[in-house]
Amino acid sequence: MSATLIPETGSAASTLRRNFWRGVWRVMRRKPSRLVGVVILAAFVLMAVLGPMLLPSPLPNDPTAITQPPSAEHWFGTDPQGRDVLALVVTGSRYVLLTAAITALITVVAGTSIGLFSGFKRGRWDTVLMRLTDMKLTIPGLPLLLVLATVWRFGSPWQMGLVLGLLGWGGVARAVRSQTLSLRERGFIEAARGLGLSTTHIIGKELLPSMAPYIAMNMLIAVTGAVYSQVGLFFLGVLPYESDNWGVMLNLAVFQAGALITPNAIGYLLGPLLAILLLTLAIVLVVDAMDEIFNPRLREE
Amino acid sequence: MTLIARRLAGHLARGFVMILVVATISFFIINNIPGDPMAARYEKLVEGGMAPEAARQAVKVLYGFQPDGTLWQQYTEFIGGLFRLDLGVSVSRPGTPVLDVLTDAAKWTVLPVLAGTLLSFLVGIILGVYAAIKRTGRLGDALSVSGSLLHGVPQYVLALLLTMIFATLLGVLPADGSVDILYEPGWNAGYLGSLVEHALLPVLTYALSAYGGWILAMKSSVVTVLGDDFILAAELRGMKRSIVFRYIARNAILPLFTMLALSLGLLLGGAVFIEKIFNYPGLGWLLIGAVNDRDYALMGGAFLLITVGTILANIVADLFYTVIDPRVRSGEEVS
Repeated sequence: MSATLIPETGSAASTLRRNFWRGVWRVMRRKPSRLVGVVILAAFVLMAVLGPMLLPSPLPNDPTAITQPPSAEHWFGTDPQGRDVLALVVTGSRYVLLTAAITALITVVAGTSIGLFSGFKRGRWDTVLMRLTDMKLTIPGLPLLLVLATVWRFGSPWQMGLVLGLLGWGGVARAVRSQTLSLRERGFIEAARGLGLSTTHIIGKELLPSMAPYIAMNMLIAVTGAVYSQVGLFFLGVLPYESDNWGVMLNLAVFQAGALITPNAIGYLLGPLLAILLLTLAIVLVVDAMDEIFNPRLREE
Repeated sequence: MTLIARRLAGHLARGFVMILVVATISFFIINNIPGDPMAARYEKLVEGGMAPEAARQAVKVLYGFQPDGTLWQQYTEFIGGLFRLDLGVSVSRPGTPVLDVLTDAAKWTVLPVLAGTLLSFLVGIILGVYAAIKRTGRLGDALSVSGSLLHGVPQYVLALLLTMIFATLLGVLPADGSVDILYEPGWNAGYLGSLVEHALLPVLTYALSAYGGWILAMKSSVVTVLGDDFILAAELRGMKRSIVFRYIARNAILPLFTMLALSLGLLLGGAVFIEKIFNYPGLGWLLIGAVNDRDYALMGGAFLLITVGTILANIVADLFYTVIDPRVRSGEEVS
């Protein structure tokens, strides 16, 4: 890839950017908790990318110490095969985060293009597309996934991410469409047209930058939903699985190791549970911070 | 009144289309299941000495359409059966029509979901008003954070945590089943008490998972209303705080009714987890059981009924909103 960076020379643009970062900095400084979200999220990504490389594969198991409660040696105890739960959480994070990334990509591409198309064309196409979106939002997602599990193999992150992405673009599409319509109202698009700018230029250079925050926020919300769905599906035990991910761990902990009955398996349950909680917390904090940065009305006086 | 009728007609038409869509999804999934269960059963019956015609009929009774014939024929048979309320026969419960299994299970899903929704709605809006009024203080912050967190936490995580706290550690609530079998079903104190006791954890989980959404929505709604002119006017006229407060609450609640359907739908979808964890014999529990038992007629039926529940929730919420919002009543467009 030969990347030649073209420096932005427009002074207006650079002032905007400076102000933007200043705004971000202000929000972050006033509530350090928001920065925490970004840090946790980065830690999870590192864990998913590097974790499985640093740990031996397959994980060492100790037949003399199966399903142990947390101890100094194993912070979250061991699983029924005598493997360290914390190591399992780390290796399992790859499946979860890779799926989330694929879902995010599909959600953004599909949602943005459909939303833009709807907002631009309006009229009949818009009505049809929005009806479709409404319909998709009405069909309960998890039951649909359960039914799909009988014909679709959700084994790999790619297969899982593909389905979740195709089911999850509704929110992004709605947000992009309403933004497009509101910019339209303000004569934004008409003015650009009047200047003789091409549609691609209007969308790429003028519309998308101002919408990016909304797209990003809705994408994060969709990703949270995706993480929650995929872990949930494995937890319910309706999917054949190839590797240990958090959902599989939860399923085995609750329905096989009896974590809700014996205190021995409590670590096995708490490990993946805390991982999910932390990841959701991080995403919530980031969305919250973004909301505050891009929605001046919410800024406390 | 005509407006309501018109809206209702539109809803019913849309609901009808939705039901068709969902039934079609079920049909194609059942038709494309690897291993072709219908053909397998037909072969088995014929091998067992049944006449081909009788075997074909038997399979039709089970799955709602014949094992051979064109796709279109099968499809029309399947949909036709749907409108005769004939959803086939459950394989995992031999001889029981799917419809009977579903109607038995529905109450275990609908009642807890409604109870949880109402509880979270009431608590959420009351606390939401406080969170908005005191949004610069510590209390408001704490409330908002609690809302954001609970809003983001998956339902099964909540259910597992609540089970751990109340059933495993404290041992004060039952974590399993819908009622104790010690009691004679009927209107006696023991049986009813046991029903309530077993419903507490599921209802609490539903309520907590929906509460976050309500408190956040109410907060932003109140903040919007606070900026309206009529509040300022009321304050300038020297009205009592309590009356102003009532003004605010009444106007801020209106937009929230549109969310009611969304919330109900979300909880209905989440019933799958909650019923699995608490071993509660509702529709979600049936659906998982049907997927695991490969009981396809029951699976399609449960999926359909959960969707119908969501559609009904949407219709009721929208009509309710039409009745209470003067702007909609006067025929104005409300986005």
